[in-house]
Amino acid sequence: MTKDTNSWLEQNTFHHSDFWDLRKLVEEKERKGLTISLCIPTLNEEKTIGKEVLILRSELMERYGLVDEFAVIDSGSDDRTREVASAYGADVYLASDILPEMGNKRGKGENLWKAIYLLKGDIICYVDADISNIHPRFVYGLVAPLIQYEKIKYAKAFYDRPLNYSSGLRPSGGGRVTEILIRPLFSLFYPELTNIVQPLSGEYAARREVLERIPFPIGYGVETAHLLDLYQEYGIEAFAQTDLDRRVHRNQTTNALGKMSFGILQTFLNRLRSHGRVEQLPDMETVYRQFEVEEGHYRQLTHKVVEEERPPMIEVEAYLARRKLSKQP
Amino acid sequence: MDSKLIKEEEILSELLGEIPGQVERLSAVREELLANAVLLGEIPAPTFGEGDRIRFVIDRFRENELVAPVIDDCGNASALLPGSEGVNTILVMAHADNVFDQETNHAMTVGSDRIIGPGIADNAIGLSSILTLPALLDALGLKLKDDLLLLANVKSLGRGNLEGAHHFLETTQRPFRAGICVEGATLGRLSYSGLGALRCEINLRIPGDYDWNRFGASGAIAHLSRLVGRIMEIPVPREPKTSVVFGGLRCGSTYNTVPKRGSLRFEITSEADTVVTDLESQVRDLSEEFSLESGTEVKLEIVARRPNCGIPFTHPLVKTTRAIMDSLAITPKVDPSTGDLNAIVQAGHPGVTLGLTTAENLRDENETVLLEPLFKGLAQLIALLRTIDEGLCDA
Repeated sequence: MTKDTNSWLEQNTFHHSDFWDLRKLVEEKERKGLTISLCIPTLNEEKTIGKEVLILRSELMERYGLVDEFAVIDSGSDDRTREVASAYGADVYLASDILPEMGNKRGKGENLWKAIYLLKGDIICYVDADISNIHPRFVYGLVAPLIQYEKIKYAKAFYDRPLNYSSGLRPSGGGRVTEILIRPLFSLFYPELTNIVQPLSGEYAARREVLERIPFPIGYGVETAHLLDLYQEYGIEAFAQTDLDRRVHRNQTTNALGKMSFGILQTFLNRLRSHGRVEQLPDMETVYRQFEVEEGHYRQLTHKVVEEERPPMIEVEAYLARRKLSKQP
Repeated sequence: MDSKLIKEEEILSELLGEIPGQVERLSAVREELLANAVLLGEIPAPTFGEGDRIRFVIDRFRENELVAPVIDDCGNASALLPGSEGVNTILVMAHADNVFDQETNHAMTVGSDRIIGPGIADNAIGLSSILTLPALLDALGLKLKDDLLLLANVKSLGRGNLEGAHHFLETTQRPFRAGICVEGATLGRLSYSGLGALRCEINLRIPGDYDWNRFGASGAIAHLSRLVGRIMEIPVPREPKTSVVFGGLRCGSTYNTVPKRGSLRFEITSEADTVVTDLESQVRDLSEEFSLESGTEVKLEIVARRPNCGIPFTHPLVKTTRAIMDSLAITPKVDPSTGDLNAIVQAGHPGVTLGLTTAENLRDENETVLLEPLFKGLAQLIALLRTIDEGLCDA
């Protein structure tokens, strides 16, 4: 195992506290003439949507004016999601009412895609609706890198997932699907993207100019597709990631994660084909990349994992002799 | 009636007439008020551990451009909203601590008509009203003549024994025209006196050389329950009104192990300080007697002591508060306080405690505040500030 600190990780990884001065951030946004839209996609989130709308609207629209536009786009909730969101002043839309001529598909990606049509901002920030410890940092931590650095086109959230606090050193990474599916796939085919600590996090902000140029899977694969498509077009320098500390949300069952993995895998294999990597498979990478964090610094751990193979025993001369077998044609 | 009184009656009548219309207008600040309440409520603030919540308060004071925001030596946060004349100062305070420990999940749930979460009523929503007061006054287009001193006081509850409020009032040189303690619960609450109170903790321990073969030998639970029975045998007078409330009993950890130690918490309250002193003396004697009789170690600790204090029912501050409540169709529930009001009155200032809204499940983790009555509660608070500001509550 070796420890590798690359410059992208140092320069494009932020902590939300880097952007604590919201007054300055708003000044910079206004100086650059940028507008920011916030979108929360929902489906049956009545327990958490009220607080999200209340806190984000009150703090980021009314108190600081960082966000210019705020929409909840709902997939047709059966519960009181739309009513509660409206009670706290959100503009609430049914995804099926937006671009009706394009039909209606049910999935989070559908709502994110239609938000590009609906909203006016130069930067669009997406925040999932199931966060029970919502805080303004979930938005300003993501839009700030885009306001401050023109080269950054897409900023992704990552969170504290404490696994082991002993000795002040702890592994840091994504959830189960990230660690078991995405990180191995990225390590094999897109090693630079392994710098993204939590590629599946549901909170990110991006410039309209890039969002409007990429296709959107409507289901589980939308985050993976964003990373692969933007990486193919702009390279790793277009990305940033921000540590937003803790995120408290629902835990998913292994069955649900299996379904999610199936969807993500479809997206990934589609991208391999469209990026021309199926016909011309590159040499397999043998370095597996994970993360650890020490005193606030993120570091990539690389493991050499070489899956060497032995031939079938029946092909080994000594085995044939020992078993008094003749060589098969 | 002299002309001054006639003039005051006219002003009061005019102010009271404006109150009902203000309830609706205050809802313009609803989101800021509730966002503050949720953000405050999600920061754990057990008594003696309010630091993070106080930092949030002081940041808000600064963001609202109040004058001289400061955290004092005791940990209280205060700031001044200057009035147009600044001749007098009105103190508006809310305690920052709650009864939940650091490990409690403080996540709030926001519904369309209520907020649910530990400590939202006591006292996140009360503290939020202090932070939002400048915006509430702005929403009504009001500018008071008096300065408003806004205070988030720490170490109020339980073992805190009003330490933060006492410290602030002792170290602040400024005389206050009046003080208002703001509590989330319950709308209609009107406290203008502090009840004499004694909070006690008895710790019982079975020593290592305890003779388990002696007559009556038993574990800490049995001893403590006998001790409770003995305390309950002490005669408690009906007049002056007096009560003994047993609020906590901690002992034992499993089914089949005899506990060796335990503690009992109770509070004695009385309208007469002499009765409190007398009951304290009897409990102290009883504890010593019980210790000797049972062969256990019994230690009585006085956690908090508050003398009776208050302003009369006929004080203009109380009369005006009742008139304001009446104009909003709020039925006053007169209840002596054992909270921060004691510190205000002991420091020589007239004061009242008000509640803001309807609450459910107080001091449970699913503590709930209803939002609809809240704006009536706030209109009541602002009306009281206006009447104090106009000099209608001066004795």
